[in-house]
Amino acid sequence: MLILGRRIGESILIGDNVEVRVVDASPTRVKLGIVAPRDLQILRSEMRLAAEQNRASTVVIAEPAAVARLVDHLRTYTTDPRR
Amino acid sequence: MALLETPQLGTVDYSEETIVEFAEGLPAFETQTRFVLVERTETAPILFLQSLDNAELCFLTVPVQAIQPDYELTSPIEDLRDLGIDATTQNEDMLCLAILTARADRPPTANLMAPVVIHRHTRRARQVIQTDSQYSFEHPLGAEGASSGC
Repeated sequence: MLILGRRIGESILIGDNVEVRVVDASPTRVKLGIVAPRDLQILRSEMRLAAEQNRASTVVIAEPAAVARLVDHLRTYTTDPRR
Repeated sequence: MALLETPQLGTVDYSEETIVEFAEGLPAFETQTRFVLVERTETAPILFLQSLDNAELCFLTVPVQAIQPDYELTSPIEDLRDLGIDATTQNEDMLCLAILTARADRPPTANLMAPVVIHRHTRRARQVIQTDSQYSFEHPLGAEGASSGC
């Protein structure tokens, strides 16, 4: 991974069409401004994980037996005296 | 009252005031903004998060406290302000749901990292992704998961 130090107001260029500027920074948060072509998708990386998880979560719906199994599981799980 | 025919829950009847609004949709389902929560005695404690925009879209959820009694949101309050949630909002005015994932080959899991937060009164909601939390996208609900905590 390439690691670059930048100050607030400074930016980096990626290829010919993308500029990423550090707009603001605090010890826990960095605010970035991005200039890029409209057709380029820009995503917070955790959004892709969340999207994949959500897609996987909808699969079960097609199968009533799977829902019933999940209910059984959940009831055992939430009433488990060890918890 | 309005009716919605769904493949998974049959006929769902709901009233306008119970609609939950996700202004931004959910990740992977950004165009789905209106949902209702459906509870059936035979499938309790599951709450079905049923889309009104696409009858085929339904998530299985459960209140996070049913999985982790001491569950805490780590998301900053500012991120929830547009739902009507601020520092004065009581816990009982919020509903925090974990989306469940069931697969044939392994125990079901609950997404505790990215819970669905609903304000009970404004009915506005968002799936909050808490990357800095200790919780997992795939918290196991199987016997293995329960016993590993002991």
